[in-house]
Amino acid sequence: MTLLRGRGLGLEIMLAGRDFDAALEELAERFAERPGFYRGTPATAAFGAGAPTREQLDVLRTVLQSGGVELKGLSGSVEAEALALENDLEFVRAPAGSEELARRRALRPKRELKLSDSARSLVADFAGARADIADRRKRGETSVRRSPIAPPPSAVAASASPTQLQLVEPSPATLYHVGTLRGGQSLHHVGNIVVVGDVNPGTELIASGDVVVFGRLLGVAHAGAQGDAGARVYALHLDATQLRIATCIAANEGPRKAAEEPEAAMVADGKIVIVPLDKAGEVLARS
Amino acid sequence: MSARRIVITSGKGGVGKTTTTANLGATLAKRGKRVILIDADIGLRNLDLVLGLEKRIVFDVVEVAEGRCQLRQALIKDKRFETLWILPAAQTRDKDSITEEQFAAIVAEAAEVADFVLIDCPAGIERGFRNAIAGAKEAIVVTTPEVSAIRDADRVVGKLNEKQLPIRLIVNRLRPEMVRTGDMLSVDDVCEILSVELLGIVPDDEEVIDTTNRGEPVVLDETSRLRPIYDKIARRLDGEIVPFTNFDSQGFLGRLFGALKAG
Amino acid sequence: MHVLREAQDDDDREGAAGAVRIELGRAIVITSGKGGVGKTTTTANLGTALAQRGARVALVDADVGLRNLDIVLGLESRVKHHILDVLEEKVTLDEALVPDKHTGNLVLLAAAQSREKDEVDTDKMRDLIARLRERFDYVLIDCPAGIETGFRNAVAGAQEAIVVCTPEVSAVRDVDRVVGLLGNAFKPQLIINRLRPQLVRKGKMLSVEDVNAILRLPLLGVLAEEPEIIVTTNRGEPLALRQENATGAAYHAIAARLAGVDVPAPTVEIKETFLGKLGSLFGGRR
Repeated sequence: MTLLRGRGLGLEIMLAGRDFDAALEELAERFAERPGFYRGTPATAAFGAGAPTREQLDVLRTVLQSGGVELKGLSGSVEAEALALENDLEFVRAPAGSEELARRRALRPKRELKLSDSARSLVADFAGARADIADRRKRGETSVRRSPIAPPPSAVAASASPTQLQLVEPSPATLYHVGTLRGGQSLHHVGNIVVVGDVNPGTELIASGDVVVFGRLLGVAHAGAQGDAGARVYALHLDATQLRIATCIAANEGPRKAAEEPEAAMVADGKIVIVPLDKAGEVLARS
Repeated sequence: MSARRIVITSGKGGVGKTTTTANLGATLAKRGKRVILIDADIGLRNLDLVLGLEKRIVFDVVEVAEGRCQLRQALIKDKRFETLWILPAAQTRDKDSITEEQFAAIVAEAAEVADFVLIDCPAGIERGFRNAIAGAKEAIVVTTPEVSAIRDADRVVGKLNEKQLPIRLIVNRLRPEMVRTGDMLSVDDVCEILSVELLGIVPDDEEVIDTTNRGEPVVLDETSRLRPIYDKIARRLDGEIVPFTNFDSQGFLGRLFGALKAG
Repeated sequence: MHVLREAQDDDDREGAAGAVRIELGRAIVITSGKGGVGKTTTTANLGTALAQRGARVALVDADVGLRNLDIVLGLESRVKHHILDVLEEKVTLDEALVPDKHTGNLVLLAAAQSREKDEVDTDKMRDLIARLRERFDYVLIDCPAGIETGFRNAVAGAQEAIVVCTPEVSAVRDVDRVVGLLGNAFKPQLIINRLRPQLVRKGKMLSVEDVNAILRLPLLGVLAEEPEIIVTTNRGEPLALRQENATGAAYHAIAARLAGVDVPAPTVEIKETFLGKLGSLFGGRR
């Protein structure tokens, strides 16, 4: 059962239906394996239908601190809510039916393969990956300048926890490229990127701001690479291999046929959504 | 517990290294082995495409080498199989972005958590090739029964011998009807020229092109005649003695395979 | 533009290929990134076709260590010296150039088999190609697979590029990478090779449009999958020698287009009877 999950900009620690001590041991191991990897990421601990004791909460916080992770919230039963209030933590209401889900999960026979410990942690961990992208952007690539600017007030209102990530400068410069980009080429830029031409598969566009492709986007685009979840990706023909906005990643694995009209990709409810360009305004109003 | 570390190479491009790596890996995984496939073709990555996993790439082998992520984060699990993972190559970098030592270290790390590590080698015998063989303990040379491919395979066998890697041969894309008319070398000819132990013979199959374009290894198709062939190769790899099938000449039927060996 | 050099070296004066040219020849690298798509076969056949049109053609095998152009031309037993011998000035260029056994006006400069690509000095390679351009109308350079040193050396000295691609997703990706690396300076043109029209019709293979939707290059020619190719490469007799063969004729059409002759738009240049032949030679499922 997954211990860590990515949720929006932070981590969710799934403790429902698990042996607390064993789970925390695994958590400590993960942090020890890669110190600093999750540093700066906020976390919520999910207890499902239950709640931790005070001592358990302390232990949890200590273990999280060892990985540089701050506990921001709890979810669980009424007792958990009380504990959250006491400790100045946010109480996250679990979506309806999650109690039932947690109960069922606990009853489900353990389907884990008989693998060694290190093999078990082999599962590609998107939570870790997303947090790492945020981490990398914070640490700064050689081509991406870091700018220590406080987040603008509008961004804080939207998310449950104030973001720890750097945000793009106001009025950033825009990189303007005319011509088709081919596989293996990449553009990294602090600011927005505009390409007039196609972006072929195997190409990477990484911008701290928006990405606009006046042509076909078939490669990988990463907007809001320094953490701005309000960044967008626009294309006349949006059929990217993979889309990334801030720490969200989306890939179209299904047989979705790319629409023939211009579209925009943005983050809504913690996920990347793609909408026709004329509907983009509506989505923004809703989220 | 340490895995078998096998590099799949050829010298000549386009003979089927990547397709072989993907299908052999899938077959081994279906047999319950834990398999990690590593794409060593940095800058010209294709293993992810052939398995239809290109959309799930977040990290690649160069980023693992640079310490920007852990091996396990870069591994992509193929959901169609219980125990198959791939470590993709980087696309926007080139082969100078990783050293032989780094590559060997990654292969060693992968070997700690798998039963088989298969390394898809790039064409040629340059830096990319040297990186790919750096972590390997065994080699499979893939060739087609054509003079140019065999000549290149021969060169590669020479280089592998320098590193004292045990080598076995897969003859790929055999067209028995062309062997019969003398227009294509027979498997026996090939083995004699290269003096390498034979691991498998894979006939030419037009389904392979379509399935690789769609990212579905041909062994997923239960009706594919290549499936039992890769299965035999996997068994031989495991040490079993499996005879090479003789196609019955009664089954000729215009399917043209005659009384020639395949399997 | 290169400044025309006075013939100063002995080998320039004595050479069988004769006097210094007034107009420099075209040096074209034939490349793809992906292996096995037909670069070497194309180099041999295109060279043959161009020579049959009366041009003086030099073929250069830049695949040091994995040489194959000589086999495809049937010249392997006639190769005495190779490109590194010339670059290292152990022999003159004329001593190394091997005349083709089927076509006049066509010569080969073979690669070394037991050497490595990083032994080639890029600047010397550039000079060598420049010298060849002074004596030949076309210098076709057969590029190795990949994008490493071998590729870089093959490209050094060329002014134009022909990229060869098969209708497969992996090939298109690799070719796209190479075109990106080459840039516009090489004016790359595209040859699509090994097309199987009946598979395209069944939706089991990329079409010409699919390929060029990504690559967006001027199309020089389209060649269908040709089982005879293997036979001819094994025997060392390029198909371009046989104009009655559909593929042979296609190479001539490509040569004409390359030379600037206005040949009708490239379609899949195959005949009806050929389709039937393709059907029976490819066993397996249909």
